Amino acid sequence: MQLAPRRKKPTMMGLTPLIDMIFLLLLFFLLGSDFVTYGQSRLSPPRGTGGDDSASRPAIVTLAANGGLQWNGTKISDTALGDKARAALAKDAEQLFVLMPNGQANVQQVSDIMDVLVLAGAQSVTLERDIFDIDLADF
Amino acid sequence: MQIKSSRREIKSIDLLPLINVVFLLILFVLIAGRPTTNHPAQIEVATSARESQYQGAPFSVHLRQDDLFYLADGQQVTLGELADRVIALGLPAQGLAVELLADRRAHAKPLLQFRRAMAKAGIGEIRLKTQYDGVDARSSK
Repeated sequence: MQLAPRRKKPTMMGLTPLIDMIFLLLLFFLLGSDFVTYGQSRLSPPRGTGGDDSASRPAIVTLAANGGLQWNGTKISDTALGDKARAALAKDAEQLFVLMPNGQANVQQVSDIMDVLVLAGAQSVTLERDIFDIDLADF
Repeated sequence: MQIKSSRREIKSIDLLPLINVVFLLILFVLIAGRPTTNHPAQIEVATSARESQYQGAPFSVHLRQDDLFYLADGQQVTLGELADRVIALGLPAQGLAVELLADRRAHAKPLLQFRRAMAKAGIGEIRLKTQYDGVDARSSK
């Protein structure tokens, strides 16, 4: 009896489960991922100079609820704030900036002003409620 | 004369290009994306025009639009409780920072109170979490 050699037909691999799994993976990563870039603004603690007279006085930036700005009590525009900060930092690289926002200003406004100061090169930006909260013995 | 049937044979679609593209998409999402941060949906983080490196902090506090403070698990806390918790965790002793995740619509008053309470508790630095959008918010107004 002659037996024909058994030849297996090359069967095509079923790709459907693979594709299903890949789509599920894609969905998982798409829904579970975040493309937002987060950063942070650092609020420095109240920092003293230890009675060092050579250190400059803190620059006080007041932010009104309507977004108006004051630099050491003088009204200032948004664009001039960065210039003022750069000029102060040119004199003293460790210049401390005290931001005093009105209680009704919002966090976004505070963040914007901190951005302007930090972009100007400020290393230390702190928040105070009002000028009486600043411990002058520290400066 | 024999006329050929006009019916074409149905050939199976070649799926390899599709699989390749989907794999590439997965790679893109894997590389460009990060796992979603567990922000409560109520918090819209303040945007920033400045790209800064996000470092996080061992202790995170949320300030929602209602001007109230919450822990990361959603529990509402007062500033006094926050100060006690920070001290109990030993953060001031280790010189560690506290992260504040503040809603951009919240008022500055609780932010100031928080800064003051943390300073009293001995926390040196507060990291206000922001979201980089590359647009100077003040100049765009």
